[in-house]
Formats: sequence, structure tokens, C-alpha cells
Amino acid sequence: MTTSKLRVFDIKRFSTHDGIGIRTTVFLKGCPLRCKWCQNPEGLLPTAQVLYMENKCIHCLSCLNASKKQGIEVKDGKICLHREKKEDWNAIVDACPTRALQFDSKEYTIEQLVTEIKKDEAFFKREGGVTVSGGEPFLQPEGLLALLKACHEEKIHTAIETSLFTDSQWLEKALPYLDQIYADCKLFDAKEHKKYTGVDNTLILKNIQLLLQSDKKEHVIIRTPLIPTMTATKENIAAISKFLVSVYPDVHYEILNYNPLAQSKYAYLDMDFCFKENPKLYTKEVMESFYSVAKENGIRNLVIE
Amino acid sequence: MENRIQILKDKMLSQPRYVSIEQALIITRTYKEHEGESAQMKRAYALYNALNELEIGIEPEELIVGNRTKGVRYGVVFPESGISWVDKELETIDSRPQDRFLVRPEDIETFRKEILPYWKGKSLEDVLRQRAGEKIDAISKVVKINQKDHAQGHICPNVAEWLEKGPQGLKEEALHHLETCASDKQDFYRSIVLIMEGVQNFMMRYHDLLLKEAAKTSQHASTMKKVAEICANLSRRPAQTFHEAIQSMWFLFVILHMESNASSFSPGRLDKTLYPYYKKDKEELLINDQEALEIIECLWLKFNQIVYLRNKNSAKYFAGFPIGFNIAVGGVDENGQDFSNELSHLFLTAQEELGLPQPNLSVRLHEHTNEELLRHAVKVVSKGSGMPQFFNDKAIVHELEKLGISHKDALDYAIVGCVELTTQGNNLGWSDAAMFNMNKVLELTLNHGKCLLTGQQLGPDLGSLSTYQSFDALQEAFKQMMLYFIDKMIPCCEEVEKAHIDILPTGFLSSVIDDCMEKGLDVTKGGAHYNLSGIQMIQVANLADSLAAIKQMVYDEKRIEPQALEHALQTNFEHDEVMRQMLLNRVPKYGNDVEWVDELGAKWAQFFRDTLRNYTNYRGGIYHSGMYTVSAHVPMGQNVGASADGRLSQTPLADGGLSAVYGRDLKGPTAVLKSVSRLKDDCTTNGGLLNMKFLPEFFATESGIQKFCNFLRTFVDLEIPHIQFNVVRREDLLAAQKHPEQYSSLTVRVAGYTAYFTELAGDLQNEIIARTSYDNI
Repeated sequence: MTTSKLRVFDIKRFSTHDGIGIRTTVFLKGCPLRCKWCQNPEGLLPTAQVLYMENKCIHCLSCLNASKKQGIEVKDGKICLHREKKEDWNAIVDACPTRALQFDSKEYTIEQLVTEIKKDEAFFKREGGVTVSGGEPFLQPEGLLALLKACHEEKIHTAIETSLFTDSQWLEKALPYLDQIYADCKLFDAKEHKKYTGVDNTLILKNIQLLLQSDKKEHVIIRTPLIPTMTATKENIAAISKFLVSVYPDVHYEILNYNPLAQSKYAYLDMDFCFKENPKLYTKEVMESFYSVAKENGIRNLVIE
Repeated sequence: MENRIQILKDKMLSQPRYVSIEQALIITRTYKEHEGESAQMKRAYALYNALNELEIGIEPEELIVGNRTKGVRYGVVFPESGISWVDKELETIDSRPQDRFLVRPEDIETFRKEILPYWKGKSLEDVLRQRAGEKIDAISKVVKINQKDHAQGHICPNVAEWLEKGPQGLKEEALHHLETCASDKQDFYRSIVLIMEGVQNFMMRYHDLLLKEAAKTSQHASTMKKVAEICANLSRRPAQTFHEAIQSMWFLFVILHMESNASSFSPGRLDKTLYPYYKKDKEELLINDQEALEIIECLWLKFNQIVYLRNKNSAKYFAGFPIGFNIAVGGVDENGQDFSNELSHLFLTAQEELGLPQPNLSVRLHEHTNEELLRHAVKVVSKGSGMPQFFNDKAIVHELEKLGISHKDALDYAIVGCVELTTQGNNLGWSDAAMFNMNKVLELTLNHGKCLLTGQQLGPDLGSLSTYQSFDALQEAFKQMMLYFIDKMIPCCEEVEKAHIDILPTGFLSSVIDDCMEKGLDVTKGGAHYNLSGIQMIQVANLADSLAAIKQMVYDEKRIEPQALEHALQTNFEHDEVMRQMLLNRVPKYGNDVEWVDELGAKWAQFFRDTLRNYTNYRGGIYHSGMYTVSAHVPMGQNVGASADGRLSQTPLADGGLSAVYGRDLKGPTAVLKSVSRLKDDCTTNGGLLNMKFLPEFFATESGIQKFCNFLRTFVDLEIPHIQFNVVRREDLLAAQKHPEQYSSLTVRVAGYTAYFTELAGDLQNEIIARTSYDNI
């Protein structure tokens, strides 16, 4: 077994939305993109961070007592974190009785992760498996590859959710061990992409081409998350659709409704969310209109749950 | 749904529930008239007179008739079993927190003048109190002994035989035995002959009433005449058609309730028993599926018309009028092959359309259950009535055989009450003998045998948390304390059985339980082919969590001083909230697939079950165990002080029996199943209960339904005995609390049964709302 390790910010069992059957989703930490709307902001930084969930806090001040270097401060009865301080954050987190303070991630060996994934092996037997998500899984490429290989050896169905912002060689190396690939195509326009995600989309589009021309192309689903005012425009969906169809006419394409639940996570990290007023889910009718745009632009295999 | 069914359903739900003393008056008069006779005969005369005299009623639309009171859902006062509690509670029964009934003021007066004086000191309740009250009280904080003031139910009669023979056939059989039997058996057979004559009269009274009503109006006259003819036929001969079979079966259950006034007589595997009648009618073109469904739905409504009057305390433990007409569909046939048929699906459809609390519909699953049945069952679950619940042949059949049950009978198992397992037609399972609170036992172990709530010395002083030198020493003391209370419990169970023999012989029931007729022995005396006693352990989830917390925090990591925890428990964590949060949040909990924690629960469940097997019950049968609470986790929790799992004093224990403590299962439903699968199936031969709540969104898509089916297939693979689902939105429940009148038909699974949500007491409602739900879509 390999010595690689992976930094994981969540392992969610019984996830029923990230592939076929009943799945365990492993969220790998760290992402090269900075999408304004990021659903998992705790997954952005590649290093461990301390999360503070005020609703779990009983203000017992155990953390303050454990703090030696002003990492914890109490202002007007409120707990404030100074994450930049060189603190013994382990001791502080360990002192919290309610887990209001906790690390957002944990390092696992491949062996440990496989053990964790295999806990639901009995359920995968019918249909299901592991989905690696993030963050961006390819930001920890060696570990990711080792994990996929290990799961493959254990005959566990593997899926990945990726932004495809990675050196193509890693994608090519991972492909033999992947049974299902969910890849995002968030914005087609290069400028817009840079504006809203922080990175250029040339590499992403190249990797989409690579995927859709590979022997795994039937197992690829390209996804666009609808983010009001950003990705959720008819022009964007049309452009993406045209591009995808030009590469592979039978491409599987999914348009994901906006997910308003991410907002609450931002507070745990003292970060600001991109919307002051959190938009609502799109109605069925609006979703239909986006589907129509995709279809009009040549998409034959629209994935609709 | 047919218009007829909607009309009948509306009529039924709009009727108020009253306490009825009608049968009590008949019983009292009969007992006075037959003072010198045996209990067997007195009971038979009382039933005979009730069958002849009780006021009866019909609805013109009904395809199935019969009830034990003219009004629907009346609570019947039954003096032979319990009278003192009725006297005490009559004035408050319309305002008590759980399961209210209206009482007519004139009935209160009649009750005190004509009924009460005769029964003082003679009812089961009073006799038991005189004989064994002290013994039972001494352990009551740990053990709740059941069946103290009512007859034993939880029985699956031999429906097939009843249909084949009818009252005439059984009467002839008893007469035949009477010719040759020993003198001490004569009363037994005489009682059956007398009762069967009463049964025939009862059927004819419906015939007469129906014809009388039909003569008054042209509306529904043909229906009434047809049903009248069926009643007349059944009084003379066995059932021949599907409609007759269902009517006959319903009479059987009405009369079982008239005789015993007990909770839960269950029809069992009706898709198997009724199939020959259905098939014959279909082949002869006497019936189509729509007509069959209408008859089934009429029966389904009937199952909701008999409720059971419990005392206030008992109503807390068994809230929501559970009566437990349990019907099991699917499963395997006598060769172990997958079994289901058109009736299985019609039953599911009836549940889908009606969504009422009764019958308690169960689906038996196994490794080769056909996809069609599973998907239909899941679709019905998604409608949110809490039914059907699922049982697992793979976890159950071989364990029943280990109790000495034959392979054939084990394959043919059914369910009584909520989740209790039984063989059909040959078993007095006494499945609700007692509930044993393991968490109270742990409390006493940690506190010198003294009750944390009252300071009373309830058990031996074996030490306390601060005196046990190791976790092993603590567990050894816990073991001794368990043994102490199990040993005190068994004689109490025996006293109850003895009192039932003396006071409540049941001739009618005995006539439909195998071997009683041949042996000439009443079912209470051990006449049945199988004689089991089931005792429930309460509650393994809290026990595992408490032991895990002590092991990790006190002995392994030494983060908490034993003295400090002992003090915190004694003071209900009054100044120790930080410690309590540590116990709650920093120690893994049962239900999260953490092996060492789950194994702590599994180990003590096994110990309890193994210890019970050392005892033999009064009828010569086996004691075995179950893991379900009905609603008892609330009152049982009230008996337990603060516990090491961070639970505050007197708050509820985990619900269900196999379930995790609500809110503590954080890894989702697959982890819960994995944890539960660590409990051995021989601990739940009397029934296990696992509750889960899903939001309806989960079932909104085809793929959601498919995933749910696969989830259930894995439930079978993991050999978990039982699972049931609440599919409701939290908002629905909150709205129902605010506007109960708008939600009168909202049903939820309380435990092993479904109740009307708005009829549950407020704390139980809150409890249901607080249960974990899994929203993954």
C-alpha cells in the first residue's frame, strides 16, 4: 500500500446524489479555483483550518482557557478567532466540549480511507460505491490516484467530481480507475470564467475534450451549476451546449439547480458569501427553460433527476 | 377509492369515543347468576349473554358488519380484569394526557352502584395486588410487569381453521370431546359449546337487523340483504366465498375482543389464508379485483373501529390506542420459496388509499423477495402513513427454530401487536410479559443500589462509580445487579400467569388455538402448542452510550474523575454542563457504526437474553427477549436519573428498541443499519424495532425509490429483524401541533404501530418531531 496521504474535509455516507446507488462521498481539501458561489468554502484552502459553529457554542470559555497566544478572544461576550496566531490549535479544539470548535479536515492514509469507505460495502453490493469530490480532488494527485487504484482493487465502483483544472497527465492516469466522471463546465466565456472562478478555462475545456474523446466518454457527465447572474444565463448554457456537442454529440449534460444551503457554511469561517440576499431554488418552469436552451443547442442526453 | 369507502371512513372518524359499561353490566349480572360455577363457565355464560344482548348497529353502506359496541371506537370497561383503576380514573379519563374517552355521567353512577361493589377484590387487578403487590412494587422502577389488569392478547388465532369449521363445526367438535372426556375437562368443552351457540346467535342478530333496516329503505337495501344472507350462512356453515371469508374472519376478531378485551389479536398472513377463497371466486367470475378491494377496504375500516381502554399509566406506555390487528404479507411459503400474490398487492393498495392506523400492515422481506412487491411496499411507505413496516425472514426464521419452533411453523411466522413475532394459530406467546429497564440497573450499579431520584435503596449496594477500580469491575457489578433484578422479575411474571388461569380462562380463544381442543386445556393453562414469554429490554442505545462514555472518559482517557461524574449524575449535571457536553459530544455513540460502542450494547443485550433462557415460564415454555418500547421510552425515561451518556434526569430514552438515541446518529442511515446489525438476532426473537424517518423528497424520483429498495435489500443482507419509516415533513408536524383539527388524519409511527399524531400527548409529539431525519435530496 502506498504511503500517500490525503487531506479530507468530510466523508459523507448514504450520499444519494453523487452517482448511481448508495455512495460514500470523500471530500478532498483544497481547490485552485475561487468560485464566488463555492458550495464548500471549507474545502478551498489546502491546509487545515479551525471552524467555529456559534450555534453549538455554550460559551463555557474552555477554549479561552486553553489559548496561550491570543488565538481566542472574547469580545462583547462573543468568541472571536484569530486564525493567523501561532497557537496550539490542537489543544484549543480538544478543549471544546461541544465541538463548536473543530478542524475542518483530517489527514488520512489511503488504507484508513479505504477502511472508512468499505464500511458501507454491504450497500454498494447492490449498486453504489465511492465518489471523490472536493475541493478539487486533483489538487492532491498522487494520493487521489492511490485511492482510486485501491478502490478499484477492492472492486468498489468509483466516481469523481472535478473542476478539471488539472494537468492532463493526471486525468489520463486516473481514467482507468474511474467508473463515472462528473466534470464541471461552469462558464464558457473565458473572461467570465476568470472573473467568477479566478482561473482561466483553457485547460478545463481541453480536459473536457480529452474526456469526451476517451473510451470513458459514455461515463462522463458534464455539469453546469446554475448560479443566478453568473452562470445562469441562456447565453452561457447555449455556448457550453454547442461546445460539448461539437466534441461528442452524445455527451451527457446536466444542469444543476442553484443550491441555497451553502450560505450557512460561510459564517463558520468568518467569510462573506457572494449574495447578500440568498437566491431561492429555481422553479420547475425556469429549469425547463434552461433545459430547452440546452436541447436547442444540440444536447441529446440531458440528465434530469 | 370507492364512494362507499369514503362515506364509511368519514362516518367513522367523526364519531366521538365513549367509555362503555354495557358489557360490564352484563358480565356482572351473569356472574351473580352463576355464583357457584367455575371461572371457565362463568366467563362462558358472560360471553354468551353479551353475544345475545349487546346492542348492535350497522351502517347501510357496510359490506362487512360487526362490532362489540354499537358506537365505534368505544372503550369497553371489563370488570373481570380491572376495576379499581376505572373507579379511580373515571372522572379524568376525558382529560388525561393520553388516549382520552368521553364518559356519560349516568354511566359513572351506574358503574359505582351496580358494577364496582361486586368486583372489589375479585378482579384480576385486585387479586394480583393482594397476592403479589409488594413483590411487583419493589421492582417497579426497574421492571414494568404487564398484563396485570387485562387479559392476554398478542395472539394470532388459527384463522384458516376458523374459516374451515365456523362456529357450527367447532361446536360439534367440542360436543364430540364432551362425550368421552374426563370430568375435569367437562367445563372446558361445555364452555366452548355454549359460546359457539352465542356466536351463532350473534351472527343471526346481524342478519335480522340488516333485513329490518333493508325493509325501511330502498337505498343500499340490496347490499344489506346480501350481507344479511352472508351472516345467516356463516351461523350455519363455514365460509365459502371471499366475501364470506372476510366477514367470518371479522366476526372471529370481534368476538375475541368481546371475550378478552385484550390488546392485539392479529389475523397474520391473510394473503396466504384468504387466497383460496379469492382464487375460487375469481375463477368462477364471482368477483373482480375492484370488488375484492372494496371488501378489503371495508374490513380495513373495521380494524379501526375497535380500540382498547387502558389505564392512564398504561396509556403512556402504549399511546395512541394501539390495538394491533397485524397483517403480514409476502415472505416465504412452506418450501422457503418467495411468496406473494394478488391479495398481497390489494392489501398494500388498501393501505395506500386509506392511510389509517389499522391494520398494522407488515411486509416480510427475504433475499428473494420479488421486486414488484418490494417496490409496491416502498411506494406505500412514501405516502407517509408509516406503513408497511418490514420484517426480515433472514434474521427471524432460523432464530425462531432455535426456540424449539418447528421449521414449518417458523417459515410461517406472523406478527402480533406492534412487532412481536409469533407462529400462527398455535401459540400463546405472552409477548408483552414485562419491560426491563437496563438503564435503571446501570444507575443503581453506579450509585450503591440507590435510586437517584428518591434515594431509596432499590437494589444491593455493590459499590459506586468512584469505588470500582476498573471498567471491568464496574461491568461485573452491573452483571450482578442485572441478575438480581431478573431473578426478582420472574416470580412476578409467574404470579400474573397464575392469576390469569384463576380468573380469566378464555374458552373462545382456546377453540382457535391448536392443541387446546385436543388437550381439553384452556390456553391460559398452557393448552397451546407453543408457550413462550417475551420480555423487552429497555434501552440498549442509552446503555451502550453510557457505558462507552464511562469507559472512555473515566477509565481510558481519565479526562473525568469518577467522583466528579458520580456527583454530576447525583445533581443532574446542575453545575457540570461542560462535563455533560463532553459526554455528549466527545464520545462516539451507538448508531454511528463504531464497533466498540455498538458491541457494548450487543454484549449486554446478549447477557440479558442468555440469562432469561435459564428460566421456564409457568406454562412450561421458554422466556425470550425483545427490543422494542412502543412509547415506553418516555415513561421509562422518567424513572431514570441523569445518565453518563449526558442524558438529563427523567428525559426520554431512545425510542424504538434498536434505534439510536434521537439526534445522536450522525452518520446517516447506513451507519445506523451497520450498528444495529451488531446486535445478535437471538436477542430479538420476541421482536425488535428500528425507527427511521425520511422526508418525502427522497421518494420523489424513480432513482430515489430504487435506492430505497436497495437500502432495504441490504437491510435483509445485514440480518436486521425489523425496520419502519416515518415519511413526514417536520413542518407538517409543527403545523399539526398548531392546528390539530386540520390534521386529524395525519398518522405517524409511534413505535410498532401507527397513531393519529394529534391524539398523542404533547411531549410525545415533540419527541417525534425531534427524531433524526435524513434529508439527502
